[in-house]
Amino acid sequence: MMMRLLRVDFLKIKRKGLWLLTVLGPFGVVALQMVNYGVRKDYLLQQSENDWLYYIEYISNFTHLAIVLGIVILTSFIASIENETNAWKQLIALPVSKLSVYLSKFTVITILLFISSVLLLLFSYSYGLYLDLGEEIPYITLLKYSFFPFLAALPVLALQLWIATVSHNQAIPVTVGVIGVILAYSAFTLPDWMIWKWPSLINGWDKPYINALLGLSVGILLYVIGMFDFKRRDVK
Amino acid sequence: MLPIMSSEWYKLSKSRILWILLVGPMVGLFIGLTANFDNLGGGPNEWYVKLLSMNLTYALLFLPLITGVLASVVCRYEHQEGGWKQLLAMPLTRGKVFISKYILLIALVMVMQLLYLGSIYLVGVIDGIPEPFPLNIVWKSIFGGWVATLPLVALQLWMSILFKSFAAPFAVNVIFTLPTILVVNSERFGPYYPWAQPFSMMYIGGNTEDIFFVPWDQLLIVVGGSFLLFFAGGYLYFQRKAV
Repeated sequence: MMMRLLRVDFLKIKRKGLWLLTVLGPFGVVALQMVNYGVRKDYLLQQSENDWLYYIEYISNFTHLAIVLGIVILTSFIASIENETNAWKQLIALPVSKLSVYLSKFTVITILLFISSVLLLLFSYSYGLYLDLGEEIPYITLLKYSFFPFLAALPVLALQLWIATVSHNQAIPVTVGVIGVILAYSAFTLPDWMIWKWPSLINGWDKPYINALLGLSVGILLYVIGMFDFKRRDVK
Repeated sequence: MLPIMSSEWYKLSKSRILWILLVGPMVGLFIGLTANFDNLGGGPNEWYVKLLSMNLTYALLFLPLITGVLASVVCRYEHQEGGWKQLLAMPLTRGKVFISKYILLIALVMVMQLLYLGSIYLVGVIDGIPEPFPLNIVWKSIFGGWVATLPLVALQLWMSILFKSFAAPFAVNVIFTLPTILVVNSERFGPYYPWAQPFSMMYIGGNTEDIFFVPWDQLLIVVGGSFLLFFAGGYLYFQRKAV
């Protein structure tokens, strides 16, 4: 049943621009650095001893904002596909459980975000190579800064999907998302327990994997809460 | 014109979504009370230091993004259940509908700017800043920020009429707004990027000899030019839109 629901959901997002956004997100993040390095490469290379790490840091300045905003857009999109034509009723009337409907939506967005992260890795690696930032390529750091933000953002994904699917008016999830991105932008000053801080991979212990692990566990928790609340509610 | 405006206002006030305007001052309070001010050189006056850091986050990301949400809000009831058909079946011109929506929208942004002004004052009171409130500088920033969003609001209204969903116009908004973080660092490109103008016009460190914090020619060419482009684009699109 799950596979069929997933296939249906992937069919529904066809030609709606979601795939385009999945590619555009990581491309945009790296493209900003293309402009940045294109305009003032010499200056930027003088700034540090380790050019690769400096470059990765610049990219990660935008990754967490792009990922939070991307989540807001994708979750709201996937909810409005059903909202716009009042299709929730018809979908729930099928012989499928509400829990698996919710799980399927969540899985679709998780897959899209995962693909985004893979693309981010590819784009930042290849532009880094093109810039010729030095012989020693920090593969582990590249991997960390491509996939940890995705894991650390899972709680935001669970929260936004929850709000988007239960709100009739999509202004609510999008506004919550705008507040979220302001919080993500202020990550430096936020306390460590705020979920919007996590995708930036900043924490008091200076260990990015803590954010990824926290993201994974709290993400699952928030997902379960959202799923049961979705099940409990009336379909309008 | 006036009846259309009042009907627009009626639809909006009944949708119980105006609390979105309160998010502006809430964000202002949050930044003002949490941000770390030590690394910003703002001179001896504590108000300046506060204003610099509050306006940074507010004008760079929040203002462009939330005005886009507001634009989608004023088009929401028409996108549902054939609302455009019903509205445009009435004896009124499409041009007037577009202008009414636009005026309502910029009035909402003005209200939010004033609420944000209140939050700046409140932050100062909570922190017990001894100097008098520098209203002669703050009003420029508040009003300038509003002027700088006029073209962005026009584009978002266009996008909101074009797309049925909230997410699509928001995505367009995000694509143009995120690069601003990088663009404002550049003296060469910053002045020409419309999405960077709210920041430039609210940045109190700018040239204080001008009425706003940017030169007049930049205001007229970049803000005025993009306004004409986006407003005309939305206006003409709406004339042709199949409902």
